[in-house]
Amino acid sequence: MQSLRDSVLTRLRVTVCRRQFALMQDVYATSSVQRLLCTLAGSNHDQVMARVIGLVKKFDKIDAAKVTESADFSKDLSLDSLDRVELVMAFEQEFSIEIPDEEADKLKCCADVANYIQSAPKSEDS
Amino acid sequence: MSGAASYLARRAAQKERVRILYRRALKDTLNWAVHRHLFYPDADALRERFDANKNVEDIETIDRMIADGESQYNKWRHPDPYIVPWAPGGSKFTRNPEPPAGIEIVYNYGREDH
Repeated sequence: MQSLRDSVLTRLRVTVCRRQFALMQDVYATSSVQRLLCTLAGSNHDQVMARVIGLVKKFDKIDAAKVTESADFSKDLSLDSLDRVELVMAFEQEFSIEIPDEEADKLKCCADVANYIQSAPKSEDS
Repeated sequence: MSGAASYLARRAAQKERVRILYRRALKDTLNWAVHRHLFYPDADALRERFDANKNVEDIETIDRMIADGESQYNKWRHPDPYIVPWAPGGSKFTRNPEPPAGIEIVYNYGREDH
């Protein structure tokens, strides 16, 4: 009797597991679709870098042709300290993060900004 | 020589103060502006006020001006500033999303018989 019950239960459990597995697959599928559709800041380093560079190129005091990943904001792009503050404000708006004052001073080129945005703890996908 | 060094240190401290003051004032401008298109002229006006005193050389005058600017900033500070939702104090800070439907914990997994 016990073995019969066990065998029945195993069969049942297998079916339940399969259904749960299908459900999980479904959930994963939808979440990956969501991940593709939304522009998540913390998703991909290249994407973040592209967005940062695009933003820097749009900044009106910068010659867009000079912008590269490692061009120094103050030396190569000839920004003064107040321009850099404005640029950091623009980054905060674009990626909806808060950059503290002491961190804002350390961001010297596009690569720095992208690295900071990647490392910043965030949960934007909610 | 120490005079020159202390002068340079003081100038660096002043630059830092101006930078932080400008950053805070710019954020405050964004708090007061209801829309983005209202923010841009306000930000330009703020930048002009800073640029007007760009070439002041006298160190005491600069100190006085910075103190004046900081007191003005404190006077006009916004009572309810914008905080990024995920930052401390924001509306989404430490609010975690619910797990998706279909995810549940099976507490007696594998031990149903016992």
